Amino acid sequence: MRHFEIPPEDAEDILQDAQLTLLYKWEQIRSPESWLVGTLKKKCIMYWRKRRSSLCDAVDTAILDLVATPVAPDQEKAELSFDLNRVLGNLSARCRSLLKLRYGLGYGPSEVAEQMGYRLSSIRKVTNRCLAALTRQLVAVGFHREPEGD
Amino acid sequence: MIERHPSTERLRSFSRAELSRHQNREVVRHLLTGCERCARSLAAYAPPGIGVARTGPSPHDYDGVFAKARQAFLWSQHEHLEEQRNAPSLLAALEDHPFDRQVLLLMNSRKFWTWPLCCLLLDRSHELGFRDPGRAVDFARLGVRLSEQLSVESYGDTRVADLRARSWGTLANAQRIASDLRASDQSFLRAERLLRKGTGDPLEKARVLLLKASLHGDQRRFPEAIKGLDRVLAIGRRHGDDSLAAKALVKKGMVFGTSGRTDEAIDCLREGLRGIDPKSDPRLAVAAHHNLIVYLIEGGQLQEAVALLDATRPLYEEMGDRMNLIRLQWLEGKIAQSRGRLSEAEALFRSVGTALAEQGLGYDAALLALDLAGVYARQGRTEEMRALAAEMLPSFQSREVHREALAALIVFQKAAKMDRVTLGLVHELSDYLRQCRKTPGVRLRDSV
Repeated sequence: MRHFEIPPEDAEDILQDAQLTLLYKWEQIRSPESWLVGTLKKKCIMYWRKRRSSLCDAVDTAILDLVATPVAPDQEKAELSFDLNRVLGNLSARCRSLLKLRYGLGYGPSEVAEQMGYRLSSIRKVTNRCLAALTRQLVAVGFHREPEGD
Repeated sequence: MIERHPSTERLRSFSRAELSRHQNREVVRHLLTGCERCARSLAAYAPPGIGVARTGPSPHDYDGVFAKARQAFLWSQHEHLEEQRNAPSLLAALEDHPFDRQVLLLMNSRKFWTWPLCCLLLDRSHELGFRDPGRAVDFARLGVRLSEQLSVESYGDTRVADLRARSWGTLANAQRIASDLRASDQSFLRAERLLRKGTGDPLEKARVLLLKASLHGDQRRFPEAIKGLDRVLAIGRRHGDDSLAAKALVKKGMVFGTSGRTDEAIDCLREGLRGIDPKSDPRLAVAAHHNLIVYLIEGGQLQEAVALLDATRPLYEEMGDRMNLIRLQWLEGKIAQSRGRLSEAEALFRSVGTALAEQGLGYDAALLALDLAGVYARQGRTEEMRALAAEMLPSFQSREVHREALAALIVFQKAAKMDRVTLGLVHELSDYLRQCRKTPGVRLRDSV
């Protein structure tokens, strides 16, 4: 828990959930200690993975909402476009192109895949990586990092 | 709107994706302006890989977490122990009734809807296994029905999904033993779907994979069986579960043996046996030893087979299970036959034949008769061979036996009538009948 730095309010849920599972499966588990350690480790990893994915989804939805707002005055639109381009400018060329298609032209995943030459089955993974890079940029935009996303 | 900084609390909620869509939009719009102050503040809450990597000791104190978890655990443990104590009497109350009534009781009375009772039903199905396949299926069905009644609020949705998966896996295994391979396949599909909704516990997955490998073995889908068992082996080793790893090795040995790869079967069984504690799992220990002895005999390693049989005899006797003792005697007959002590082999086979007939195990009795036919063939006793063949067919016809197996026995009977039974034919028919038992539809070789 300490190693994964899980916030205490969530650590409580994770620990109790793992303990309850151990209790119910006690007779099937040969080595309770290593089972509990392994399960907690996995749950901590899953916890952060889920948090990362929810945060990236929240950023994505917010930007899609912002660019789709129909009544935004021209100046506001221009400012949004400027700010978005500035953040995208710090991403890799691949992610920049992908997210410009997504936010600038309103392309759906299948259209992005077709335009960029990806298989439909892999576009979701690539998009998720680019969204993570974008979210990292938002959190670190004041630090002027090198282009990322590849 | 853009210039106003979100509060620290709002940034924290944003990092946890807990804001409304509108609030979310406001925070993101603000961050897009490149506000260094808010970015820094958010970085402290953001998940690793998004936020800034922290160094030094953890800022959190977990003492309270452990104290609360311990309290909650003790309370749950108290409730669980109470349910465990009541489960045997609930099972006894159910067992007094026929299956249809048992289902009715289970569905209508909440007192039965407990986790430990479900586990007991599944254990009972497992115990009955080969002894009474029909009842094993019934108990597994009850387990499935009960698992569907369990409260997800009390036990947790993912844990209940795990138990439902285990129930379907147990039913699938019982159906396999009862030779209903199609139903078994379907039940395994249900089990796997439920596992995906479960806790993700790899040991739970391994248990289903282990059972499914037996189905693949029976279906003669050997590569799939071996692949599944290798996954179980890896999970067992990774989680320090020696017993699980040993089970996977023993089963792998049996699959290799059935597919005719005797040397690999012997290697796997030897390695698997090293991880089995006969005290905690005597049934598995006997099964593993038994199969190893069979493959050693088949592989011509008679001396080692005899030594191992002598060493294992106390375990067979300790188990006291009638079927295991019959199997022991059958093995002794095979060893006597392989050593050329044909009179001793004949006497042992005859005794085993009587015991199998008493148990109503017609198929095994026919397989045994073929071993006896092997003795006669070596001695050139054509008269006895004809009599034996004449006895076998009616015994098979009176039972539910695949038509392919009957056809094979007719071939044997005709060959006996014409005094054309050879050792080769006996072995071929014996192998064929073993395959037919699990996989109806296998063709007898044209040459035969």
